[in-house]
Amino acid sequence: MADVKKFVGFLYVDKTGGQWIVRDPEGKLWSLPMTDNPWEERQPFTPSDETELEAVPGHYKQMLGLPF
Amino acid sequence: MTAEHVRLDEARQHKAPWKKWGPYLSERQWGTVREDYSEGGDAWNYFSHDQARSRAYRWGEDGLAGVSDDQQRLCFALALWNGKDPILKERLFGLTNSESNHGEDVKEYYFYLDSTPTHSYMRYLYKYTQSAYPYSDLVETSRSRSRTEFEYELLDTGVFDQDRYFDVFVEYAKASPEDLLIQISVCNRGPEAAHVHILPTLWFRNEWSWAGNADRPTLQQVGAGPPGGVVQAVHPLLGERWLYCDGDATLLFTENETNTQRIFGAPNRTPYVKDGINDCVVHGRQEAVNPEKKGTKAAAHYRLTVPPGDSQVVRLRLSTTAPAEFARANGRAGGPFGGFDDVIQSRRIEADDFYASVIPASLGADAANVMRQALAGMLWSKQFYHYDVDKWLEERGSDPFKETRKQAPRNDHWHHMYNGDIISMPDKWEYPWYAAWDLAFHVIALTLVDVDFGKEQLRLMLRERYLHPNGQMPAYEWNFGDVNPPVHAWSTIFTYHLEKAKRGEGDIKWLKSCFQKLLLNFTWWVNRKDRSGRNVFEGGFLGLDNIGVFDRSAPLPTGGYLDQADGTAWMALFADNMLEIAIELALTDEDYEDMVLKFLEHDAWITSSLVQLGGGTGMWDEEDGFLYDVLRLPNGKAHRLKVRSMVGLLPLCAATVFEPELFEKYPDITRRFERFLNSRPELVANFHDPRKVGARGRRLFSVLDEHKLRRVLAVMLDEKEFLSPYGIRSLSRYHADHPYVLHFAGQDYCVSYLPAESDTGMFGGNSNWRGPIWMPVNALIIRALLNYYVYYGDDFTIECPTGSGRRMSLYQVAEEIARRLVSIFVKDSEGRRPVYGGSAKFQDDPHWRDLVLFYEYFHGDNGAGLGASHQTGWTGIVARAMHLFATTTAEQMLELGRDAAIIETESTWGARLGAART
Repeated sequence: MADVKKFVGFLYVDKTGGQWIVRDPEGKLWSLPMTDNPWEERQPFTPSDETELEAVPGHYKQMLGLPF
Repeated sequence: MTAEHVRLDEARQHKAPWKKWGPYLSERQWGTVREDYSEGGDAWNYFSHDQARSRAYRWGEDGLAGVSDDQQRLCFALALWNGKDPILKERLFGLTNSESNHGEDVKEYYFYLDSTPTHSYMRYLYKYTQSAYPYSDLVETSRSRSRTEFEYELLDTGVFDQDRYFDVFVEYAKASPEDLLIQISVCNRGPEAAHVHILPTLWFRNEWSWAGNADRPTLQQVGAGPPGGVVQAVHPLLGERWLYCDGDATLLFTENETNTQRIFGAPNRTPYVKDGINDCVVHGRQEAVNPEKKGTKAAAHYRLTVPPGDSQVVRLRLSTTAPAEFARANGRAGGPFGGFDDVIQSRRIEADDFYASVIPASLGADAANVMRQALAGMLWSKQFYHYDVDKWLEERGSDPFKETRKQAPRNDHWHHMYNGDIISMPDKWEYPWYAAWDLAFHVIALTLVDVDFGKEQLRLMLRERYLHPNGQMPAYEWNFGDVNPPVHAWSTIFTYHLEKAKRGEGDIKWLKSCFQKLLLNFTWWVNRKDRSGRNVFEGGFLGLDNIGVFDRSAPLPTGGYLDQADGTAWMALFADNMLEIAIELALTDEDYEDMVLKFLEHDAWITSSLVQLGGGTGMWDEEDGFLYDVLRLPNGKAHRLKVRSMVGLLPLCAATVFEPELFEKYPDITRRFERFLNSRPELVANFHDPRKVGARGRRLFSVLDEHKLRRVLAVMLDEKEFLSPYGIRSLSRYHADHPYVLHFAGQDYCVSYLPAESDTGMFGGNSNWRGPIWMPVNALIIRALLNYYVYYGDDFTIECPTGSGRRMSLYQVAEEIARRLVSIFVKDSEGRRPVYGGSAKFQDDPHWRDLVLFYEYFHGDNGAGLGASHQTGWTGIVARAMHLFATTTAEQMLELGRDAAIIETESTWGARLGAART
């Protein structure tokens, strides 16, 4: 039976901070810096009350070098 | 044989890739299902027109008067700026489904003027305003209008007043399959000199961002070229190309990458993004383009000042020939533009020669112009359609094989689909996606000029990358699992016979291949859409959108279900067509003999069910002489929904004549079939008895026997009911004064005659089957009448119009309906085209009045064009009707049967068409 509490990786933009946010397959949130290797230099991200996440297509994952 | 015919032969034999480059760019990629990754499937709002200039597309490209290679790796299109618009005009603008009072609608004037089938010559016209384009006015005014009001058109805004606009003609001429000459002619129709920026633009479709380690292609300026400059394009798979720009132009470069800052508020990873050229030209931001003159998107920036009534020309050439080779061949002075004008002129003449061989001379100049633009529109409506559904589902977190998947808003069960092909679109702005049943009609017209392309299109929908493993044909991207009327087999056997007649030999291998897949599709219908196993078929709305009392694709508010007259009629026609194919195959391969008998019997079952099933509440109503849907309620009661609509005329279309040759070759088939019929007299009592031999020994398979046929024809040919001055209406005019009302559970469900736009939002509200004239179903009616004619002959006459006292053979009736359909487009005795209704600009202005648009459907009383304005797609089938009656006589039809529809002997129909107008 599918575990509906698990997520596949997904990509967002934080509209308030203007940065890429990733939710990995375990459900953890990461912010990506604007570097050549954004995924490798990811930082944990904790949304605040003001955080406004907009989902963007999975095909931007390649642009940001995400491994999933 | 004309030069274009030689090119078609070379393309077919794979000697030269004449079709590699063509008008394969869409007019609109934004707002499509493919580009939609929203949670709820809100395609129109997820990727908007406003975003399109800044956001890289995932699956395909769009552009103005554009071309690309057949994999859409390298694209070329036109961008314009009048110095007043807030953005470059890089693509057509239109309203989304929710912005307009009658659904999505392009708000531009553009015309597909000409194209040969190999695209060796093409011509396109765009009318560009000199004042600022009224984006906001169009949106706001349209939003404020109700469904009962007219649409707010661009002409209504006043931007074309005083003719302050440019006619921008774009011509393409191929010097060779990989060498495109491009000529842009800008004509100032206004009273004063006007400035305009012309930006022919070359770019690569962005494949590298989402293809892992894909090599990135490059565009860069190279020296030693003519004035204006040269762009070198290098692609790892496509190889090298050069775009030569003649005259005084500045080359601007950026990247076809999303401006993530503008779209998402996230910093860009490159300073040069998709809207860089826009920002440089419109806002003077020089830093938005790459000073190193390289990128993946480039434009040649021309600044023109055009005197009133005058024109200026920009010339370009996209070629595999390197600058040094041109210099060697033409000398440094001539370079890539040596002999340019000669090539353009040669291709124009060759296009004329080609169409002189296609368009019957008897049609006269105006009708010939209509027919040529119909075919041009069909050829310009080809598009590279790219959609890997499995990948798309995976990218949105809906991978069908992952346990943790999210539900996708649509197409969940179509993950086998990989589409990446050139496909004929219904309308590249309003419907830039294929629709299976539309496509079958497109082929009927396209085969006038390119049989090979027609065959490829039919085969494509049956390939494993399209047809569902369960046998269902994909409907359209909004819901591949929806159900379209099954007309694919009809188009297939038509195309087979056409090629056989033209080339002296049919492509049996292709026909067998199609037949095998069509068998899967036929069986899917039988197993999925016949609820009770009684050969009565459903199918939901079946392409006829709002025609019913209820939304036929949704659960009925009454409970129960519908016996659909059209669903069952479509299946009777499908069985007819499968029988035709089986017979053709059996004539060369006796293994198909059993399939002939299978479809003979299945045809009889379906046909019989349509008329008799249900006893006193069957679909046939003897009192009215018409067929209706039957509502079967949960309590066992049944009720005819007595709406006189196309639903009740479609059973008339399920009629096919068979030549005697099969029955002569296989007398055993005849014996076995007659034994079957003799043992089931209750079946034969309900439809035309196929044992009765007609003219020239032919047999007829038909839902309607002679009695019922006469009854239905009397209604159909009554001008107070279906027969409009411009063809057969989709709903009887009787319902104007007598709306059909069903009272149920305290609510009224009403259908009344609406000759123009829909007044409800059912199926998007952008189409209307409650009165207007639709070309494809009229074509099926003409086909059926000709089948009846070759069976019954000249002895069968009927009053047409009903009550007129004028009797006609069924050939003459078919011809009369075709004449009325064609008269929508050709000038009447006062020089007016009914398609343009009350639009003075289109009726009277010499720069507008001979430009013909092929709308989606037409006003039921005055023939004015409605719905999508460039649905040359299935409306283009009018070209086939024009050709048919201009090259065929009743005598030939009776003598030769179906082959008469294909031979090309000039008749006098064109002259009679003119006489009838005056």
